[in-house]
Amino acid sequence: MPGAAERGSELSEQIEAFVARLRGGGERPRSEDTARQTLSLLRKIIAHGRWSRAGELMDLIRMEGQRMTAAQPSETTVGNMVRRVLKVIREEYGRLHGRSEESDQQESLHKLLTSGGLSEDFSTPYPPLRANVIEAINELLIELEGTTDNIAMQALEHIHSNEVIMTIGYSRTVEAFLKEAARKRKFQVIVAECAPFCQGHEMAVRLSKENIETTVMSDAAIFAVMSRVNKVIIGTKTILANGALIAVSGTHTLALAAKHHSTPLIVCAPMFKLSPQFPNEEDSFHKFVSPQEVLPFTEGEILAKINVHCPVFDYVPPELITLFISNIGGNAPSYIYRLMSELYHPDDYEL
Amino acid sequence: MSTDDLIETFRAQLRDDPDVASAVVAIRVLLGFLKQDRGETIQGLRSSLLAAIDTLSRVDSSVAVSSGGELFLRFISLTSLEYSDYSKCKEIMIERGEIFLRKVSLSRNKIAKLCHPFIRDGAQILTHAYSRVVLRVLEAAVESKKRFSVYVTESQPDQAGQKMAKALRKLNIPVTVILDAAVGYIMEKVDLVLVGAEGVVESGGIINKIGTNQIAVCAKAQNKPFYVVAESFKFVRLFPLNQQDVPDKFKYKADTLKTSQNLTEEHPWIDYTSPSLITLLFTDLGVLTPSAVSDELIKLYL
Repeated sequence: MPGAAERGSELSEQIEAFVARLRGGGERPRSEDTARQTLSLLRKIIAHGRWSRAGELMDLIRMEGQRMTAAQPSETTVGNMVRRVLKVIREEYGRLHGRSEESDQQESLHKLLTSGGLSEDFSTPYPPLRANVIEAINELLIELEGTTDNIAMQALEHIHSNEVIMTIGYSRTVEAFLKEAARKRKFQVIVAECAPFCQGHEMAVRLSKENIETTVMSDAAIFAVMSRVNKVIIGTKTILANGALIAVSGTHTLALAAKHHSTPLIVCAPMFKLSPQFPNEEDSFHKFVSPQEVLPFTEGEILAKINVHCPVFDYVPPELITLFISNIGGNAPSYIYRLMSELYHPDDYEL
Repeated sequence: MSTDDLIETFRAQLRDDPDVASAVVAIRVLLGFLKQDRGETIQGLRSSLLAAIDTLSRVDSSVAVSSGGELFLRFISLTSLEYSDYSKCKEIMIERGEIFLRKVSLSRNKIAKLCHPFIRDGAQILTHAYSRVVLRVLEAAVESKKRFSVYVTESQPDQAGQKMAKALRKLNIPVTVILDAAVGYIMEKVDLVLVGAEGVVESGGIINKIGTNQIAVCAKAQNKPFYVVAESFKFVRLFPLNQQDVPDKFKYKADTLKTSQNLTEEHPWIDYTSPSLITLLFTDLGVLTPSAVSDELIKLYL
């Protein structure tokens, strides 16, 4: 069928374009946009791809997912969305297969003792599966739209009048959070500029447009000012499975200073940033960019004698974090394992 | 099956298969006991099993045998709830028991697969006493071409550390045996601490050979990650709040409990490490934070 072949090649073109954009990494992409693009692409693969059984579909998605995550490992939202889709497929298959909602597919001691045999096969073909899965993905997309608003809605509970809030760099989630609170409360914000990209400046400009009293200061002054701060509110790139963060470079310093002064550290991040990976040897979350920002190429003479690095991300251990505010509410870092088991299936942790 | 037969079978199996965990041997023996049982009711079965477990713990009073026995009892109760006809029930129990034993034999490999990525190239690892799971993990790390060196504590009073060092040397891993007292001294050189566990308690803490608590405290003080590897059948329904809360029957060997006049003069063989000192637990149910352990236990027992 010429139509199918055309669609097939158009689809693979789109996938190639997406992968190339991820790998190129010129501009810092917004996590929500990446998530939305990944989901749309996966929806197209499911709609137009050639598969008849759930097992084949899962293998197809897994293969494409591996390609996309390999292009840019630090963009964990891509992998997270792939895992969500795999979980959706398992659920829809289970529903059609007639398995009860109770029988959890997770490994547990209970299952070890009572199960009679091997795990699910996913080989029975069901015609309505395609439509069901696409509908579930549409629901996911709608959920994505509302995440920033859901987080911002919780702002009034956490920010009180005459407080001094500190933040670092530019996070759109934190910006929405603070703007929502500013509608009813009066407070001050101190923004650490977050060298070398100095995105804190942009954050300060946007906040002051909403008539929030904002101060910008250098990263070196974080500890000095911390004693006057009531709360630290930050965004993050990724939340890891043990409750740790991969956030913009400079966040670990901020977290340590907050811990020293016993200042609560609140992280505002939507659930699609939660990744089931642990920090380990394959630390491929790190991303290094051109050291031009740290030491410009005009300093030609010194460049031959020294090494210059410009890491983009920082690791923040879970002990330094007080609370995670996500679109499903506030949680402690020790509870992250539970949220993970609701979002992803253990067999999908390794794509 | 008489008590002497039971004890003899248990001892023989422990001798023949030194690589298998004692909890698994206990479950195997109990399954054999179940097959030979002549009773006609579930209640009768339960009471004879309780007696059998009691006998076994008089031979080997470790936490592992106790947790294995409790798990087996739970297994019986769960199965008997589903089938009311006794003979059918017994058939299913025996079948499931065999499947369980087969699954459990794979658990060490699962744990090794989960844990070895956490060992970086060039790492210095500290471990305590002799643990077969840790040995398997280090073997998996060697197979994935990582280079690392290991410090093992001597682990008095039975010098189990020497046994571990010998096994590690066979794998061509550079190993140094250190005194138990030298843990604080060596901690600054170490990158991570990896220990096994005899039992994992409800709070997420562990019960392990005496000296583990000290190592955990030192590791916390120097900000080194403290990893525990344990199979899921070692989870027990205990919630000790301090060292005194751990029952005496686990702390001392079975013979000591029988013969000694005054237990306060005996040296305990195990101690309790609290969950705040543990970074991560690697089990065949996945990588767990200490707070996730109680969730797993609840899923089983409630």
